[in-house]
Amino acid sequence: MALSPQELVDTLAGLSLFADLSRPQLEQVAHKMTEESYPVGQRILRQGFTGTGFYVILDGEVVVKIDGDERARLQKGDFFGEMSILLGEPPVADVVTTRQLHVLHLGGPELEGFLRDHPPVMYRMLKTVALRLRNASRLRS
Amino acid sequence: MPPKPGEVTSALARVPLFDGISEESMERLVAVTGELEFEADQFIVIQGQVGTGLYVILDGAARVVRGSDELARLGPNDFFGELSVIDQQPRNASVQAIEPTRCLALASWDLLDLLESDPKLALNLIRGLAARVRGQGELHRH
Repeated sequence: MALSPQELVDTLAGLSLFADLSRPQLEQVAHKMTEESYPVGQRILRQGFTGTGFYVILDGEVVVKIDGDERARLQKGDFFGEMSILLGEPPVADVVTTRQLHVLHLGGPELEGFLRDHPPVMYRMLKTVALRLRNASRLRS
Repeated sequence: MPPKPGEVTSALARVPLFDGISEESMERLVAVTGELEFEADQFIVIQGQVGTGLYVILDGAARVVRGSDELARLGPNDFFGELSVIDQQPRNASVQAIEPTRCLALASWDLLDLLESDPKLALNLIRGLAARVRGQGELHRH
């Protein structure tokens, strides 16, 4: 179920990752990224394997599993895949759909250029990664 | 006594956080970076206080403490305080000097200015944080 360009830009405007972007910038994002849909039970990222991408969830849900243990559930507005790309390492988790998933996808090699072109998105991503580290530290203590 | 610009540049250049930033942003970084000295046992930052700075240890040693637990030890070129600087949350741990310690200190508002004008610096910060999230995950598993 692909959205019209107008609907896609409206959807992006409501996601916190893109909250600081202007309408023309949102249109650029919509143009740059590819809409994809996945059925329930599909494994999108595979722990330990290369071949990755950056995904932003438009609708649906995925579960993040490390060694088979559930670590998180991600929903509309959440994103995944950026850690492997930025670190140049294979994913450390499986990401599997638990509901029909509708995402925007960006190929791994394009992420760095994309972030450089959109510093507000990078700053939002930076905050999210900082929050993850905070949560990981809290779990550990 | 204020640090020499050359000393600040070479200290910052050794920090992975600042790897690959442009000469121009390094100059700006150096221009807004100060130096602070701490005695043994003195707290550099205190858990619960809102973070207003990123610190890089030039020499000396410090311990990271949460409540009564020691979480880590830091030495020259180690940095801390970047989480509070980014999300303006209260500091989630204290850092206490173990011996006389000299730090470079970068204020949050100056760092945010730099992040906005220098995407490469922001990317390096994300990479550094992401690697540490992964490190935490591995500790979980073992």
